[in-house]
Parts: sequence; structure tokens; C-alpha cells
Amino acid sequence: MSTVDELVQAIENGEAARAGEKARAALDEGADPTGLVDTLSVAMRAVGDRFGTGEIFLPELMLAARAMQSAVDVVQPALLASNAASKKVGVMVLGTVRGDVHEIGKDIAITMLRASGFEVYDLGRDVDPLDFVKRAEELRADIIGASALMTTTMPAQKELVDILVAKGLREKYHVILGGAPVTAEWVAEAGADSWGEDAAKAAKTLEEVMAGKRAGAGE
Amino acid sequence: MSHLKMWEIMERAAAGPYCEDDEFLYDIFLPKMQEVLSKYEIRYDPSTPVPADDDLADRIWKAAVEFFLAVGVHNVDTHRRILITEDELNEALFLAPEVHQVGAGHETRWWRPRRIEDERGPFCIFSPDITYDEDIFLQASMAYTQEPLADGVCGPILEESIGRTIHSGTPAEMAGVMEHAMMLRNAAKLVGRPGLFLVAVGTAQSDTGQIAASSNEWGVRSTDGRLIGVLTEMKTDNELLNKVVHCKQFGCAIGCLTGAIYGGYAGGAEGTAVLEVAHHLVGLTVYQHNFNNSFPFHMQHTSNSGREMLWLVSMVHQALARNSRILSTSNGFFNAGPGTDMLFREVSAHAIASVVSGGDLWTSAPRHNKYRNYATPLEARLAAETGHAVARQGMSREQACGIVDTLLKKYEGEIATAPEGKPIQECYELMKVKPQGWYLDMYKAAREELAGLGVEYPY
Repeated sequence: MSTVDELVQAIENGEAARAGEKARAALDEGADPTGLVDTLSVAMRAVGDRFGTGEIFLPELMLAARAMQSAVDVVQPALLASNAASKKVGVMVLGTVRGDVHEIGKDIAITMLRASGFEVYDLGRDVDPLDFVKRAEELRADIIGASALMTTTMPAQKELVDILVAKGLREKYHVILGGAPVTAEWVAEAGADSWGEDAAKAAKTLEEVMAGKRAGAGE
Repeated sequence: MSHLKMWEIMERAAAGPYCEDDEFLYDIFLPKMQEVLSKYEIRYDPSTPVPADDDLADRIWKAAVEFFLAVGVHNVDTHRRILITEDELNEALFLAPEVHQVGAGHETRWWRPRRIEDERGPFCIFSPDITYDEDIFLQASMAYTQEPLADGVCGPILEESIGRTIHSGTPAEMAGVMEHAMMLRNAAKLVGRPGLFLVAVGTAQSDTGQIAASSNEWGVRSTDGRLIGVLTEMKTDNELLNKVVHCKQFGCAIGCLTGAIYGGYAGGAEGTAVLEVAHHLVGLTVYQHNFNNSFPFHMQHTSNSGREMLWLVSMVHQALARNSRILSTSNGFFNAGPGTDMLFREVSAHAIASVVSGGDLWTSAPRHNKYRNYATPLEARLAAETGHAVARQGMSREQACGIVDTLLKKYEGEIATAPEGKPIQECYELMKVKPQGWYLDMYKAAREELAGLGVEYPY
């Protein structure tokens, strides 16, 4: 088994320390940092697919994500030294809305989106709608994601969209809403752009959105 | 109940061992769960959705106790772990009452813990678990409060008050929770059950909203109940603890609301069962509850009527019934919507699995507990009637397992594509507070199917 194969295996098994060691070993053997990151992304996406089909559960997904981060932390300096830009699919801020303290759905979405190459900033829970907008502006985000688990906290998702409209920023961001009580009908009523029905579908939807943006920008 | 005083819990919530989120999950929760699952050799068997395995139930209990004592409860506001000692837990288990009194007047109920295969019927709380439109709230609530097997009712949720959207933590929520409490009590009075045990108010997410609804004059009474949730997983926060402090002082029954997630941090059916039992211990000690409302659910389907879910629902209640006097209502979450054969089969399978395992019933949340107006009292009535029937006839777990397996085979292939059904406005003649004729016929057919499988209804 090659070192890169061992690295992939470490990620699949959720072994963070081993993943870091194997990433270092792969670089020492002359592996291309950009190619290595691509390989890691493919491995993590496969783990995400297995989670989506129910073949594995959240602990395995989270541990694999942690192992992947351990490997990326080792590869990142080499990537910068080689002047190769890592492939960033898009920048996103994501949080649970004001009044809502539930986080598991958001955390799964963050894991899946990062596995898909998004740079995701976790705003945490109980986040004021205006703070979503402020952080998106600061971080030059492409996407704002807002999660709500309670029917009586869902209105804060609409409040977020209303603030974007009031500030003249609505067209600047793609807004995706998620959470157990959220439906496609609510997404339309709130004036958002897409529905994160589950984490895997959210990642797929946002990949398409960003591909469309890049195509529109002639990249 | 527990000898622990609220100030002791508050002290631990503020000054327990410091622990950040990642440390709690990766270094404490996940490894300890893996350790107890392996140590106690807990295995899910899909061929027995209602196992008759006392030793397995006891191993799940032991695993849950060990897990709870080692992990504790994480207060996400203070980043502190609330740890309970083994002596304190044992004392709380010893002190758990033989009977709890709820409701008032002619509607007073004495709620006792049930045993496995207990011939005493389940305590039944009827609840739609979902939002209804404001303009049907009263009539729809009356449809629930009039149900004769309802020992208690938890009303629907309001999302508007006087036509205005309710935002959690705002004055609109204050107005909404008061409207909710007043209308639900009126719904009990109008059907001649003024003292009915009400669990309210689901409209209030915030602590201030819950506290605002407490009133023996017009709102939630000290003879009623409240639900206080445990966050996912084994977590709490100061707002939830505020509710506990208030309820202890006000004197109402505290219901600890717990929904361990299948496919979540605890993994599959085995870990989710252990976690859900551990959640009950959080309720007993940290929230000092009177009862627990248990709704473990499948992460992808948001339901608990699938094969693996019924196994864990059954095992959670067997573990509790064999080892404690903790009251636990088994809260059904279903895939199909009202007015479908599939929903009637789901509620029946869930009721049978829960009741023969020693559980009480909290019924029911159709259509993934997600769509406004999609719940009716008739599926809850079938669940309660079926629960009482199987208890009364002394149904064994083995017989229950066969019936549940037969029901599962009729619907489990459709879980991902379950029919939406119809909203309550189409299933009921709401102004007259009665089911439509076609809907009653469907319910009767469902009962006949169950009777053919061996359920002996007393009437």
C-alpha cells in the first residue's frame, strides 16, 4: 500500500494523528501538495456519501473530517510554499438563527460543505440576523446559510433576508435555509434562494450555484 | 425527583469541570460511548423489533448509567460539565415516587410507573406536536381534549398571534404563549374537562415565554406540566436551567424532553438506545423531572416507526421499566400523514412496541413532525386504544414482536416515500369537532386489521 493510500485509509478510519503522519510522509516522498489535497477531498467526499446513504453514522463522519483537517494542516504550508492556490469552491457563513440553540444540523452541514471544498465560517448558535450579514461582508462570503430547528425561530431566517434587502445587499449573496421544520415553501416565502433539505443536498446545490457563478463570471 | 437542590445544580452548571465543545464530543462523549457499547456487548437484531431479552435490557441500563456518570451534562453557556455522583444517582432512583398526581378535580390522574408486559394501561398524552393555524386552534384543541382516553393533552403550536408572526424571544412570543395557554384551557373547559392535565406551552421556545404562561388563574397551572429539553446530545444551557428553576418553584410537573438522534453522535440503534436512557437520567437528576417525554428519531427520516427505531424504543423502555420508576411517555414520530393506512399502521406498531415494553404513550407526530395542520386526534385515539388493548390482554413481548413485524412489512418499504395524507381541516368537520365519515371508516378498518392480527379491543 502506498503512503497516499495509507493516508486515505487513515481519513476513512478517522485516525487524525496517523493522517497527519502519513501526509508528512507523502510530502517527504515528493508528493505534489495540490494533488494531495485533491486526493484528500475525494476521500472525504466518499466518506460523506457513505454517511448520506446511512452506511456510516455521524461519529465516523466527524472523525474522518477531523483526520482530513489534520492532514490539510500538514499540507497547507507546502501548498503555500509552492505558490499553488488551493481550490476553494466558495466562501460561506453559516449559523443557527437567533433564539435557537440547536447545532447538530448546522455542524453536519459544515462538515459536508468543507469536505466539498467550501471555506465555511461557523457563526455558532443563537446568531442575530444582522450578524450574519456583517460577518458575510467582513469575510467577503458568497453564501449565507441560516439554520433553524423551531417553527418559532424560523422567522429570524426571513428577517435575515429582509435585512439584506434593506441594506441593498440582496443580490450579492446566495441565501440557503435549512433545519428540520424548513420546507421549500418556507424558503420561497422567506425570499431565500435555496433549501438545504439535508447536508448532502445542500452541498450539491451550492456546488451548482458556485459553478453557475463562475461560468457567469467567465472563469 | 432527586434530593439534589437546584442551587447545587446551578453551582455545578457554573463551576463544574471546564470543557470546550470539541473536547466534550471527541475526548469524552465519543470514546465513552464506544467503550460502553463494547463492554456491555449491545447488539441490534433486525429480526426482533420487540426483543424479549431481559439481560439485554439490563446491559443497556448499565451502559447508560456508566456513560451518564462519566460524561455528565455539558452546559454550553458556561462550558462546564455538570457531574452527578453514583451515590447521588442511586439516591435519586431510590427516591423516585411510586405515584405522581397530575391534573385536578375530576380529571385528577395518579400516574404510576409501568412494568414490562404490565396489564395496567398506559398513561396517554394526546398531542399533535405540530403547528395549527390560529383560526382553527381552539376547535382543533377541543378535538384532542374531548378524546376519552386522553389522560393529558399537549396542545398544538401557534406561529401567529392575533394574525402576527410569533418570533421567539420577542413580545409577539409573550402574546402568543398567553393566547395558547388561554385557548388550550378553554378547549378543556368546553368539553367538560376543566381540570385536564395540560402540558404547555409549545409555542414558547424562550425561558421568558415559558415563565409568562404560568398562572393558576388563566394559564398553565401548578397541576399541569411543562417540557424542558436536553440539547443534542447530553447538553443543556442556562435558558433551559432557568425553566427548571421556575417550574420547581411554581410547582408544575416537569417533563424532560429528550430525542436521541439515530445516526447522530451515538451512532446506530445500540448507541442511540444507551444515549436515550442516559437522557432520562439527566431528567431525573439535573432537571429533577416528574416524567420524561422520549422521542428518539432517525436522522434522515425524522421518525421512529422504522424497524431499527422500534427496536430501540422498545429497549429503552424495557431498560427503564426493569431498573427504575422513571415515568416515560414514548412519543411517536411518523412518516405518513393523516388519513392514510400507513399512518394508522405506524402508530399501532409504535404503540404496541412501547406499551408491552413498559412505556406510556405520547401520541402522535405524523408526516415527519414537519407540516402545519397535518395531525389529527384519530391516529392518537387508535394508538391509545391499541395500547390499552394490548396491556389489558397481557400481551407478551413475543406476540407483540410478531404483530409489529407484520405491520412493519406492510409499510417499511415506503418510509422514504410515505404518503402526505391530508390536513386536519379535511379529515375533520372542525366546527362540529368530529371526524369526517370517510375518516372514521378508515380508522375502523385499521382497528379491524389489528384485531385480525391478535389485538383484543375491549370495546
